[in-house]
Formats: sequence, structure tokens, C-alpha cells
Amino acid sequence: MNLAASSVIIVPAAVVVGVIIVVILLFKAMWRVAEPNEALIISGLRDKGIAKDSSGDEMGFRIVTGKGTLVVPGVQAVRRLSLDLHQADLQVDCVTHQGIPVHVSGTVIFKIGDDPGSITNAARRFLDQQDKMDQRVHNVFAGHLRSIVGSMTVEDMIRDREQLTARTREASGSEMTKLGLIIDSLQIQEIDDPTGYIKNLAMPHTAAVASAARIAQADADREATEREQQANALKAEAQRNAAIKEAGFQAEVDKANAEAAQAGPLAQASARQNVVEQETRTAQLEAAKQQQVLVATVIRPAEAKRDADIATAQAASRVAELTAEGQAKRTTLEAEAKATATRATGLAEADATKARGMAEGEAIEARGLAEAKTIKARAEALATNPEAVAMQSLAEHWPDVVREAAGAFAHVKNFTVLDGAAGVNRALMEVASTGMASFEFLRGLFVPKGVAADAPPPPMPQAASPADLTLVSPATSDNGSTEH
Amino acid sequence: MSEQRLVGKTATVTGRVGPGTVGEVSVHVRGGTETYFARPADGAEVIEKGQQVLIVSAAPARTLYVTAIGVF
Repeated sequence: MNLAASSVIIVPAAVVVGVIIVVILLFKAMWRVAEPNEALIISGLRDKGIAKDSSGDEMGFRIVTGKGTLVVPGVQAVRRLSLDLHQADLQVDCVTHQGIPVHVSGTVIFKIGDDPGSITNAARRFLDQQDKMDQRVHNVFAGHLRSIVGSMTVEDMIRDREQLTARTREASGSEMTKLGLIIDSLQIQEIDDPTGYIKNLAMPHTAAVASAARIAQADADREATEREQQANALKAEAQRNAAIKEAGFQAEVDKANAEAAQAGPLAQASARQNVVEQETRTAQLEAAKQQQVLVATVIRPAEAKRDADIATAQAASRVAELTAEGQAKRTTLEAEAKATATRATGLAEADATKARGMAEGEAIEARGLAEAKTIKARAEALATNPEAVAMQSLAEHWPDVVREAAGAFAHVKNFTVLDGAAGVNRALMEVASTGMASFEFLRGLFVPKGVAADAPPPPMPQAASPADLTLVSPATSDNGSTEH
Repeated sequence: MSEQRLVGKTATVTGRVGPGTVGEVSVHVRGGTETYFARPADGAEVIEKGQQVLIVSAAPARTLYVTAIGVF
């Protein structure tokens, strides 16, 4: 019962499991997945999934990329087309735009395009020759590269990468499209130049650079040499300066040595010089002394003698001079005295004559007037007698008057009287007469004529009379005869 | 088929586009970048490398017709 029941359960379960396994295996066999770098080309068993191009025509097969799809085995054929990158190496002998033969080695990198059109074209051409695709492309692209190189110059090929890619597109674009290929990159790796064009191309620059290098080298060399020579010159200058200084110092040393060597003689000479100076001074002093002695013993006595002689001569001369002067003065005085005497004589005579005339006139006049005035005068005289007083006073001063008159002789030092005693008397007479005349004059002033005649005469008229003069003369002769 | 989907997109010129030459543009497509041949849409325009262009139309076998986008 349990066994039968369990078998009833197990058998259907096994069948179910078996069916599931079969279904899984079947699905596994029918399901294909396209990986990212490949495309599935499915043909046979036309269905709705068959691709159509833009014009609506069926392609007759299906392209699957990047996903899985169900394939009916035995009915449909599935092929895988790799979309990986391919590389083709190119070795091409060609001629450039300038006609220069070059050997170009390059690399072209290409792949099948990712779009259905490219995959379709490629699938139709390379599906069974995927391993030969590189060779095909190499053959195709060699021709393209030849034409590309032929349209460019070497310089452009070397330098202008943009132009190279553009030319590559132009030359190969349509053809590659036919093959369903995309050129990712074209690289010219090497340009072999049998004619040396590129080398020559570089030659000017090389030469210029070499020239510049040589110039720089020469400049540097020259500069170095210049510096070297300058340094040598400076060195020589320094050596010369050093030698000059050395010589200078040597000269100083020699000089000092010579001076030191000469110091002894010099000192000796100096000392000798001092000695000579002192000796000279001594000699000078001795000479001075001798001179002084000479002066004292010879010159001074001679001078004294000379002075004495001079004094003697001067004295003699003076004596002679004085003698002559005295003689001359005496002669002069004598002449003067004679002239004075003559003049006095003349004057006295004139005065005498005049007085005589006047006395006569006055006598006549007085006689006339006396009578007229007698009465009046007598009356007045009686009243007052001033005249008498005046005359008295005059008489008292008379000696003074006479003395003043005699004073004229007071300044005469030498009164030489030539006539002896008679001359003296005459001179005194003249003086007295002068005093008399003065007296008369004074009396005339003070005393009217009539009164004077009648009035008793004062004592003076006697003194003035010539008879009395002899009495007075001894008194006056003291002054006048002093020299006599 | 797939080229038609690119119409209206922008692309970057990677090779000079002009008359008488084959230009190249780079387009974002299918999550990656693909290069297509490019020609000027009006047949005379010259577009230098690096400029942004608008894809006007497409021809099969990887050729796009583009025109330069002005300065935006």
C-alpha cells in the first residue's frame, strides 16, 4: 500500500524533472548571445525579425548585436562576425608629389563598422575570410597609400598630419565603405629616402646649426683667449708693479743704508762746522777787541786832537770875527754919534732961532695983553692962587722930568765922547735945554702968559736956567759918563 | 536605418568639412562614439575642425550631411 502509493508519486515527479531538464537543454541549444565585440548573422527561417534596409528591401538575414536571440537549430544558420580591431602593416615604394622616390612603411588600423549597413557589407564579403581580411585590406590600402603619398610632398608627410588623415579619408573613404570597414588610424612610421632628399632637406639647418655651433665655439674660444690674455696682462702688470715696489723699497733701504753710513762723517763734519763757527766767532771777537783797542789808542786821541784844533781854530776865528765886529760897530757908532751931533747942533740952532722969534713975538703980545689982564689977574690971584699951587707941584716933579729926559742916555752902553769934557758938557746942556723947553711948554699949558709974567716965579725957573745947569751936571754925569 | 536616427543630433567635426573633400564628424551613438564621413549640407560650407555641427540628413554607408551651428 505505502510502496504503491510512493511509486505513484515518484514516477510523475521524475517525468516532470526530465521534461524540465529537456526543456532547459533545448533552450540552451537554441539561444545564442552576441558579445559586445561581435555580431550574429542569422539566416534561414524567415521571420519578422529579418532586417530590412532603409528602402524596405529585405536583406535575407538577420543581424544581432549586443543581445541574445533564439535560433532554431537545423533551420537557421548562425555565424559570428568579429568587430575587433585589425591592423595591417604596409610597405610601399612610391613617388611623392615632387617626384621623389621614397619607401614608406606605415600601419593602418581598421575595424568593421558598428552600424548594420557596415556589418551587412562586411558580412557579405568577409564572413568566411575573416582571417584573410588583413591581407585584403593591405592590398587595397597599398594602392591608396601610393596615391596619398603621390599627392603630398615629403615635408607635408613629415609635418602635416591633418592633411595626411584628410587625404586618407578622401582616397579610401568610399572604398572602405564598400567593404564595411572604418579606418581608425593611418600611421606613416618611416620614410626611407634613397636619394637623400630628407637629409639634404635638413642640410641647411644642420649646416646653420653647425655653423652657429662653430661660431659659438670660436666666440667662446676667442673670449676665453681674450680673458686669458687679459689675465696674463694683469699678471704681468702685477708683477711689474711688484718689481717696481720692490725696487722702490730696495732704493729706500739703500738710501737708508747710505745715510746710515754717512751719518758718522756727517756728524763729524757737523761737529767740525760748529768748531769752525766757534773759532770764527772767537776770531771776530778778537778782531773787535783789536779794533776797540785801536779806537781807544789811536782814533780817540786823534779825534780829541782834531777837536782841540777845531776848537782852537774856531776860537781864533771867533776872536777875529768879534774884533772885526767891534771895529765895525765902533765905526758905525762913531758915524752915528757924529750924525746925531750934527743933527742936534742943527736942531738946536733952529730951535734957538725959532725961540728967539717966538720970544720976540710973545714979548710984544704979552706986553699988549699984560696991561689988559693985569687988573683981572690980580683980582683973581688975590681970590685964589691955584697957579701957585700948580707951579709948586711942577717944581716938585722937575727932577723927574729931567731924569726922564736923561733916560734917553740910559740905554747907551758905550757913550763915547769925542770932544772930551767940553763934549760932555755940551751933551748935558742939550739935555737940560730939552728939559727946559719941556718946562716952558708945560708952564705954558698951565699958566696964562700975563699971570706968569707978573706972578712971583716959582723956584723952578732958576733950576732951568743955563747958569744952574752946571750945578746939576755932576748928578747927571753919573749916568752919562759911566763908560768914559 | 540607423543613420536616419542620427538626423537632428549634434556632432563635433574631427576632420575639415568642405566641398571637394571628405570631412569627418564624431557622434555619440549607441552609448559610444563613432566617426562618420561628413559633407556640407548646402554643398559649399566650410567647417573647420573642432566646431559643432547639426546633422541635417544622412546617407547610407556612413555619410552625414551637416551644417555649422552658430554661436550659441
